[in-house]
Amino acid sequence: MPSVAELIKALPEVEAMEREEKFTVPSPLEQMSLRPIPVGRWRRLGMLGTLQAKIAAAYLFYWLRSWFSHATESERNLAETHWRTALRMLDSMSYLRGAAMKVGQMMANFPDVAPREFVDTLDRLHFDAPPMHWSLLREMVHNELGSDVEQLFASFDHDAFAAASLGQVHRATLTSGEDVAVKIQYPGVGRAINDDLRNLMLFLLPSRLTRDWEYVKAQFEDIRSRLEMECDYQQEAANQIHIRNLYRESDGVVVPRVIPRVSTSRVLTMEYIGGVHLDRYLQGNPSQQQRNVVAERLVRAWYRMIYAGRTLYIDFHPGNVLFLDDGRIGLLDFGMMIPLDAKLWHLMEVMDKPLTTGRREDRDAANRLWCELSDQEYIGERKAIMDRFADWSWRPRYCGGEFDFGDEADFREGVDLFAQMVKRRYSRAQPCTPLIARQQFGWRSILYRLKAKLDIRPIAEEEVAITGWDRSYT
Amino acid sequence: MRVTAETKAATRRSLLVASRKLFRQQGFEQTTTRDIARAADVAHGTLFNYFADKEAVLSAVVSDAVSAALAKFQESPPAKCSLEESLFSLVALQLRQLKTMRKLLPALVESLLSPLAGKSDEAAMSVRLSLLDAATQLAIRHGYGELSSMALQLLWTLFTGILIFWANDTSPKQEDTLALIDHSLAMFVGWLDDARNTSTGSKKKQRRR
Repeated sequence: MPSVAELIKALPEVEAMEREEKFTVPSPLEQMSLRPIPVGRWRRLGMLGTLQAKIAAAYLFYWLRSWFSHATESERNLAETHWRTALRMLDSMSYLRGAAMKVGQMMANFPDVAPREFVDTLDRLHFDAPPMHWSLLREMVHNELGSDVEQLFASFDHDAFAAASLGQVHRATLTSGEDVAVKIQYPGVGRAINDDLRNLMLFLLPSRLTRDWEYVKAQFEDIRSRLEMECDYQQEAANQIHIRNLYRESDGVVVPRVIPRVSTSRVLTMEYIGGVHLDRYLQGNPSQQQRNVVAERLVRAWYRMIYAGRTLYIDFHPGNVLFLDDGRIGLLDFGMMIPLDAKLWHLMEVMDKPLTTGRREDRDAANRLWCELSDQEYIGERKAIMDRFADWSWRPRYCGGEFDFGDEADFREGVDLFAQMVKRRYSRAQPCTPLIARQQFGWRSILYRLKAKLDIRPIAEEEVAITGWDRSYT
Repeated sequence: MRVTAETKAATRRSLLVASRKLFRQQGFEQTTTRDIARAADVAHGTLFNYFADKEAVLSAVVSDAVSAALAKFQESPPAKCSLEESLFSLVALQLRQLKTMRKLLPALVESLLSPLAGKSDEAAMSVRLSLLDAATQLAIRHGYGELSSMALQLLWTLFTGILIFWANDTSPKQEDTLALIDHSLAMFVGWLDDARNTSTGSKKKQRRR
């Protein structure tokens, strides 16, 4: 079974790829960038082995091109190196359903599995602000909110402190004195990328007779729907309000309060909660007990969203988790939330049984239902791998007792199984089912990096109670 | 009866106010000089003492707005920022001031403002000169020196292109226009930088010789 790291090693060298300059840039691709892009990069893009990689890379390109506009020569060279690394990774991981961003966010969770430079690359993708200069930003605020920044805010930092979905985040103070974070979208970027995808789709039309066409189409739709969700900050604000209301003070989970008065579909203003990201938090050498406490809060937050909020928090990755000085955790970015409709809620109910009992037959029933949702048969190799992955995912809960989430061998087993699932395309399904796996993986990887030792069963039992399911098997 | 300078200015002002309103309400094409004179409460013939034709009226309306925007810009020019950003502020402020007459701009650009326009009038010339002068001042302040005639022509072409795009922009709150201004000015300043680097390079070569 190859690990992800071995898959990466198996890729052809970038230099070798560059020598094969067979690709000519088709005109729709030329239009994909709003800023001029050196042709060399497009050549590399064209040389990628799979259609999915091209789609993923097109999405990734949005961030990458923003690096170059204000960069110095050395920064550009560095970005080029990162870009090559990222593309190589994309090439190996492109069969993963979903956009490059999702691949990246997941891979950044695996510091011991993915090469360090790739994790760094993706860290940059997460946190580096794309360059929207102050004059443009000021105009965007005026355009959206109808008044100048100076009239709406007592102060407003000219420099962004974080990147956001298709935009950037600035610190500001309201006239009431409250510290806020203001997320601003680059004008028209959502539609520009949507157009790019449409162009790319046209470019890919000749492949419509291939076996993969339906999958490619589905993948486009996945990215498109994701974009739609990410572009609408009003929807995100509604999600954020819904999730915020799920937590009590004693939960130690903070979701920033939205300030509707200064929010629109392109500007989202929320309470500033401070805190640091996972890497910085770990640099402070927190004790095992401190790490266990924050891990417990993360697990509770996750279960609460599912069982009480009936929502999947797809963006459960380190970029969206803040560790506050007082031990609370902050959650950010609710752009992509999947509401659990009747079908998925039923899947959750069926899954609860193996999660509780750990029995093979209960796991089979849940996996079979999972496959049925995407018209796949639960047989043969698929059955074997899915069963192992489900067992790996659910083990900490059904076993009960303290589980060592920092166990490297255990975590690698999960990574390998997941890599096999996506490589064999067992994660192909209607949009939501791979997302369940993805977010499951998201929180496990954060706990792995925290090296948490935790009994999650009592937390799950407390949280699942609200569902009112018949749980006579407990 | 002798017409004083104040009366002349007041009549001109009321003609401009009336035409702004009519252009906005019924469009440029549908508005006649007779409509304007009637709305301003002056004789039809009097209008021609002030403006040669309807295009000239529109040109004056736009010129007034541009002057007002420039005055605002000069009152509080953006501090501590790049040439690209300063130019962005300058153009964005123009658009804010011209917002109510957005739809009218293509008529004016085609007839008087376009680099390809066959004719021009005093007001259109004034719009062009005042904007390009402001841009030149910014370029000097940011160390780029006087803008060459080619640079001025390029900037003017980009500006009129932005106006036309904006007039037809159907994106939410015309946000695409903001992106277009950003990209146009990034391109323009990038071009200035290239020109500057090339000229510095060739001077160095000459010195070496």
